[in-house]
Amino acid sequence: MTLDNQTIKIGRIGRGVIGSVLSGRLAWTIVSFLSLLALWALVAAILQSRLFPGPLDVGAKFVSEAASGELAHHVGITLARVAAAFFVAMFIGTAFGIALGVAKGADQFFDTWLIFFLNLPALVTIILCYVWFGLTETAAVLAVIINKIPNVTVTVREGARSLSRDLTEMAQIYQFGTLKTLRHVTLPQLAPFIAAAARGGLSLVWKIVLVVELLGRPNGVGRQLYDGFQLFDVSMILAYAIAFILVVQFIEIAVLQPIEARVNRWRR
Amino acid sequence: MNEKQSAIRVTVDSKAFPAVADRPEQLVLRGVELEVQEGSFVVLTGPSGCGKSTLLNIVAGLDPDFQGTVEFGEDDAKLSFMFQTPRLLPWRTVEQNIRLVLDDEVAEADGKVAAILNRVGLSEAATAFPERLSLGMQRRAALARAFVVEPDILLMDEPFVSLDDPSADSLRALLIELWNRRPTTVLFVTHDRIEAVMLATRLVRLGGTPASIVQDSEVSLSPPERLDREKVLAWRLRLFENA
Ligand SMILES: Nc1ncnc2c1ncn2[C@@H]1O[C@H](COP(=O)(O)OP(=O)(O)O)[C@@H](O)[C@H]1O
Ligand SMILES: [Mg+2]
Repeated sequence: MTLDNQTIKIGRIGRGVIGSVLSGRLAWTIVSFLSLLALWALVAAILQSRLFPGPLDVGAKFVSEAASGELAHHVGITLARVAAAFFVAMFIGTAFGIALGVAKGADQFFDTWLIFFLNLPALVTIILCYVWFGLTETAAVLAVIINKIPNVTVTVREGARSLSRDLTEMAQIYQFGTLKTLRHVTLPQLAPFIAAAARGGLSLVWKIVLVVELLGRPNGVGRQLYDGFQLFDVSMILAYAIAFILVVQFIEIAVLQPIEARVNRWRR
Repeated sequence: MNEKQSAIRVTVDSKAFPAVADRPEQLVLRGVELEVQEGSFVVLTGPSGCGKSTLLNIVAGLDPDFQGTVEFGEDDAKLSFMFQTPRLLPWRTVEQNIRLVLDDEVAEADGKVAAILNRVGLSEAATAFPERLSLGMQRRAALARAFVVEPDILLMDEPFVSLDDPSADSLRALLIELWNRRPTTVLFVTHDRIEAVMLATRLVRLGGTPASIVQDSEVSLSPPERLDREKVLAWRLRLFENA
């Protein structure tokens, strides 16, 4: 049969097209990035102010912070907090989302709870966690988790409401049982919703973690930004901001996009 | 084992779908009693919308909301159901789809999955995702999945509709081949009368509103006669003369 050959050919053509689009996009990214840099340098040159350093000053600060190990230390701590809060919140939020999407009674019961937590300002959660549990690591991470769970729950619930009855019946007939059904029938259907929750969630978690660190932690990127603010050290603020953006982009490209591509491999 | 033992005994005193929004409650089945002998190939037919799928879902245990009982010859009878659409998992390959319905030890052992894929002509497509295949090939995979569990009872709900004639014919031939190789009790729903005569050892017709059994006939054709168009047409006339 020629099917395999055909599939492979289509695959190659597909990759070729994507490849050229990518390289076109890469060129644009570089042009766009360089012009942003040029504009920044120009404005800095005109202003000649210590409070608006140019790319070279910020670059120098970045290098010195990196060389001293400070940068890696604080970025690493922030990353660890982000990772802990992210995974715990995704796990609990997804479980709640599935439960509420599948069980109508539970959904009605918990709807007001969800609305309450969705609309609770992040800052309130953070302050309350610090007040109740002290300025501890647990309180910090817990505050982020509580902020994040309702968003994940709402997104995943949307997916769980539209689970295919056809496939559920199929799984029932062939006696898949709970775990097999979850892994092979339910979660793949929820994958786009979980991916959306993860994406939106990651950017949210990053930002809240910075606030949490600023308010009550002795280390992390948020703390460094606060120190930079106290000293009016704008180079330091921008150096950490850029490090932060680089790490977020790296995770997006090296982790999230490959996972998404793999999960969507079956789509025609 | 006794040939005449019954494999399925279903009694539906009544089955109604509750009222929704603007539609009143709808009584679909009333007083349906059906006993299927072990090893027989019972074709259930009747006009579209009369309640054939409803009855099959009741037998399958997918719809517990009815007045009546369903019993099987063996307490832990193994069921397969080939649905009107293939209902393959689009995110799993053809091979994984078939492997998944088996217990892990069975799936790993003795090349069972490869054997059934070969038998239905899907060896080359084993690693393809279902939605990249034609409907005919997806149906082959669904047929392979239904047989690989070696069911005591095979339920089929118009499994060959919306295929072109050659594809439907070859799938039917494949079903007959698989069935001869491993006979099992089949309850097969169709509204295609020629298909009904070609496959059935017994033909049961539903009719009326609410539906009940209006005809129950043996079809004593030999395997070669089932492929003889003249014979099939003659039987169709005979069986459906007052339809
Ligand atoms: N889930 C449902 N809710 C309400 N009515 C239904 C439902 N499923 C089927 N029906 C109705 O029951 C009748 C029988 O349907 P069905 O068993 O699918 O018919 P058949 O398979 O013989 O074509 C139809 O009139 C259909 O409208
Ligand atoms: Mg039907």
